[in-house]
Amino acid sequence: MTAQKNDQRNPDKGYVAFLGWSLNAVEAADKFDRRYVVVAPDWAEAYCKEHDIPYVPWNFERLNDRSMEIAQTLKDMGVDVAIPLFEETVEWAGAINSVLLDNPRLFGQAMLLRDKALMKRRAQLGGIRVGIFEEAHDKEDVIRFLKRVNQTLLKLDGDPNDPIHLKAFDKAGCLGHRVIRTPDEVDTIPEEEFPVLMESHLDGWEFAVEAWIHNGKIRFLNISEYVTLGYSVFVPATPELEKYRAAITTQIEKLIKTFDIDFGFIHPEYFVTSDGEMYFGEVAYRPPGFKVFELLERAYGFNAYQGMILAFDPKTTEEEITAFFPKEVVDAKGVAGCFGVYPRRRVVSKLEIPEETEDHDYFESHELTAPLEETVTKRTAFGTHWGLVYFFGDDPHTMRDLLKHQEDLDFYV
Amino acid sequence: MSHSETSPGGDASKLEGLTSKLEEAIRLLAEARDFAKPTKIRRVFDTARRILLKEGGCQVIERLAPQLEQAGVFWGSDWAEPGILVPSLSTHSLKSPDPDTVVIEAISELRLLAIARNSYTHPTVSAEQAHHYLTQVLAINLELLFGTPSEAEREQQGRLANVTRSLFRHLADGIGYEFVIDQLVDEIWRIIQQRPIQVDSVKRMITEIAICRHNPEVELGNSGQGADRLISSLFAPTQGCREDPGVAVYLERLESMDSGALQYEATGFARAMHDTGLVCAYHAVFVRYLLEHGDHLLSEALGLSSTGRDCLLCYDSLVRAIITESVYAETAQSVYGLALMLERGILYQPPVAPALWRQVSLPISPYCRERLWLAYGESPGPRAWLLSGVLCMLGQPLGVGQGNNPTCQSARALSMWAYNDPDYLLQMVVWAARDDEIIIHFEGQPVSSRESVSGVAGELPVDLDPVSLLVVPHLDRIYAEMGRRCIGREGDPHQWVNPEFHGWWSGRGFRINVDVSTGQLWELDAFLRHFYASYHPYYNGNQPLIHPQPAGIAVTDSAARFIGWHAITILRVALDPKGVMRVYFYNPNNDSGQNWGDDVVVSTAGHGERFGEASLPVDQFASRLYIFHYDPLERGELALVPDDELEGVVDRIYRSWGSDRAPSVTALQAEPGQSSP
Repeated sequence: MTAQKNDQRNPDKGYVAFLGWSLNAVEAADKFDRRYVVVAPDWAEAYCKEHDIPYVPWNFERLNDRSMEIAQTLKDMGVDVAIPLFEETVEWAGAINSVLLDNPRLFGQAMLLRDKALMKRRAQLGGIRVGIFEEAHDKEDVIRFLKRVNQTLLKLDGDPNDPIHLKAFDKAGCLGHRVIRTPDEVDTIPEEEFPVLMESHLDGWEFAVEAWIHNGKIRFLNISEYVTLGYSVFVPATPELEKYRAAITTQIEKLIKTFDIDFGFIHPEYFVTSDGEMYFGEVAYRPPGFKVFELLERAYGFNAYQGMILAFDPKTTEEEITAFFPKEVVDAKGVAGCFGVYPRRRVVSKLEIPEETEDHDYFESHELTAPLEETVTKRTAFGTHWGLVYFFGDDPHTMRDLLKHQEDLDFYV
Repeated sequence: MSHSETSPGGDASKLEGLTSKLEEAIRLLAEARDFAKPTKIRRVFDTARRILLKEGGCQVIERLAPQLEQAGVFWGSDWAEPGILVPSLSTHSLKSPDPDTVVIEAISELRLLAIARNSYTHPTVSAEQAHHYLTQVLAINLELLFGTPSEAEREQQGRLANVTRSLFRHLADGIGYEFVIDQLVDEIWRIIQQRPIQVDSVKRMITEIAICRHNPEVELGNSGQGADRLISSLFAPTQGCREDPGVAVYLERLESMDSGALQYEATGFARAMHDTGLVCAYHAVFVRYLLEHGDHLLSEALGLSSTGRDCLLCYDSLVRAIITESVYAETAQSVYGLALMLERGILYQPPVAPALWRQVSLPISPYCRERLWLAYGESPGPRAWLLSGVLCMLGQPLGVGQGNNPTCQSARALSMWAYNDPDYLLQMVVWAARDDEIIIHFEGQPVSSRESVSGVAGELPVDLDPVSLLVVPHLDRIYAEMGRRCIGREGDPHQWVNPEFHGWWSGRGFRINVDVSTGQLWELDAFLRHFYASYHPYYNGNQPLIHPQPAGIAVTDSAARFIGWHAITILRVALDPKGVMRVYFYNPNNDSGQNWGDDVVVSTAGHGERFGEASLPVDQFASRLYIFHYDPLERGELALVPDDELEGVVDRIYRSWGSDRAPSVTALQAEPGQSSP
């Protein structure tokens, strides 16, 4: 294995392996005291060689007979645990870790965390509240579900329908997420998207949680407040959401128990309705999108990837992990948020950061690039934003209003 | 269109906050290993940009320059090796629409300033090298130092255009103005030799030099000698105003002058004005004064020859009315326009004098008043500004500039009418200024500027002379509409549009050497042979060109690479003082002195050019020509044109804009000539 530059590495610990390529994760590991290796597709090889990054080539397609091969390779290298960085590598981590840690149950757990329908069913069995859901294999299933949900709600013919949500079983975040209100809209779903998971719409406040778990205990629990789903998020949340922290912690503990999670990192989403009732949405066993890790580092100063390494590594000691994480909310230096920019116009020619955004005290930086095409593709599902704008400041309410306000501004004109 | 500058009040604390943010961003960047630097650079760029937008931001960046460089801001780019940087490339970076490019260039310049001032010892660049480099950068980008951002820059760069301005002021403060002044003076003389109508930026540059010279902290040494005449022309051309006393004092002095002293003033003003094309405010005050107290000196004060004096005497009351209405300190340039208009003798054309009487008392529409106000301010009023603009355009028809707008055809038309058909120009001005509508007929059908939706320019231009300001938007829309009416016809639309748009004298014969559908060169030999036979006196029966003719050129850059199509006017073809046959032409671009590469350098003075003319030897001109008009009935002898002359021209075409347009090469696309700037 390549010599690692950092001579601060702890010789008493083994190796950890990252599954998937993430520059931020690699950088975090590189600065940390653990020895590490990156398992990534071969296009990353030249880059890793150039920069002395320890690397094992692997193409993560569907799990196959060769799964054992990579597990064995890593085991021979002295790797103690594999850490998934993307939704697609979660089942690989399960498979590999079941070998590395000699615990076959981990693979089944990973499969459960990869399939949104199975996941909901398991949650329901564990006594966690979920909305009405069902799998759909074709368009007729969708129409039937839409009708049934609205009948249940005692809607009469002609009343506007409550929408239902369609999600791919195994995709991260908002990818493939559609909202359907009328049977007509069902026709817009391409055949190749089936099968999908259908859910009733929950009117409530959606939020996400990031929880680092070691030895079955929550070591750090962050609540990420969404201002508008798919647009913006900030940490720590406003006091109005943080007041549910105790209730949320109870929910997460339930989740840990139900899914039998002993270590690692989870990223579940919930709805809280106006009467304080929590509904489970879904849970992922990998870092969240929308750069929440970067926001956490900005707000608290700790590196969330390094936190993941600690949470996954079986050789982590109790003292080590306790010393690593700060105290939630009170230790935050400020509030960090980001906003995902979608062009609002149909035709755009250039990027122009609004002056009021750039001049705001909270503005930090952006990663928007000039438009490549002039015509903006119409968003059918919750699509991908064109880049993020970062903010940092003292007050969560100012942050929330600021992020909300960005939705009314044109970044592309 | 004044963009609010940063207010100094809350800025200091904001700047402090941003500075600590930048310091933290630099620290994170410095701590990151090479491969992770790209993920940390955004915060540095974004924060640095905001600091540069603030008053005093340049100082902060200069102070942090060593940390910025060591943290790796330039890592992986050319800027990482300051020793290899080329000063001339800075212009491109600083005008880039990409904010990061502007910011990194600014950081790099400020780093070099820190090196030049010995506050930063650099491993590969000495203080002398840095100083030399920055001097060159300043001299090359003088307009960034003294000019205000053009609308085009604002459009492309937004607030960043102000960053480059404050950066250059800071650099010049640090390097010393004396190093750039000499280059600046040469540049000013080169521009005013072309006698542009718009001299605001020139005046501003001269003012800056004057301020430098009076600032005891600026050590100019021996430099800036050539600036004397410029500064005196603008501020103190005569005995009576030699220390720039202010208008009130000057008027008092005039009261006590005897006729000898007044005469002395008159000749002093006139000499300065005709030397430089610049008119000082005292001159305007003096001319108004003469109306009441000695109009026998008017001819002297305008510096008129016998032709002009004759004209002045014939149209005495009109001239007095014009002066009363339009000559003010603010509109001082109108004196020069008036003098040159009288010299041209165009008042003797029957419609011109009555048309000018109409102009003197023209009611201006509220919309046009508003636009004149916005562009020039309230004093001395829209009608005075417009009349002053009319005088300048009639006096300096070749001084019309298109500003930073893609409206070369409209500027060319105005210039051509002022030159060839002044009465028609006056009519256009009236239609635009009074009626807010211009109608020109296209093949018998009226084309209204009001009904035509859009022109070539996306926005209303503001950086123009008063006449262009009001008339160009109409012409632009009409021109574009005429183009639209040609859609579907085979061939280049200029063929039909140009004669209908400009006037009956545009030749109906038409030649183009580019195949509109493929962009490839087409019938090159016939094209050039017709051009020589129509225009070159050796082959057209020694017939001087009678009317100005619209033509199109393929503009190339100094490396002879194709830039775009451009509209010009061919004015005359004649021998220069050295016996070289040259084409003299008008270029609506604001500065005709351009290097088109492959040794084709457009001359604006020194080769027999009249004010405002550009010129090239015939063969060089022909090598950039792609469209011309001619009179099919007056064609010369095609066979007389020597083959080797044409071969030389063809070679030049293939060495420049024609390099990838050889007809055998397929699928190379050029935009049809419609959208010339």
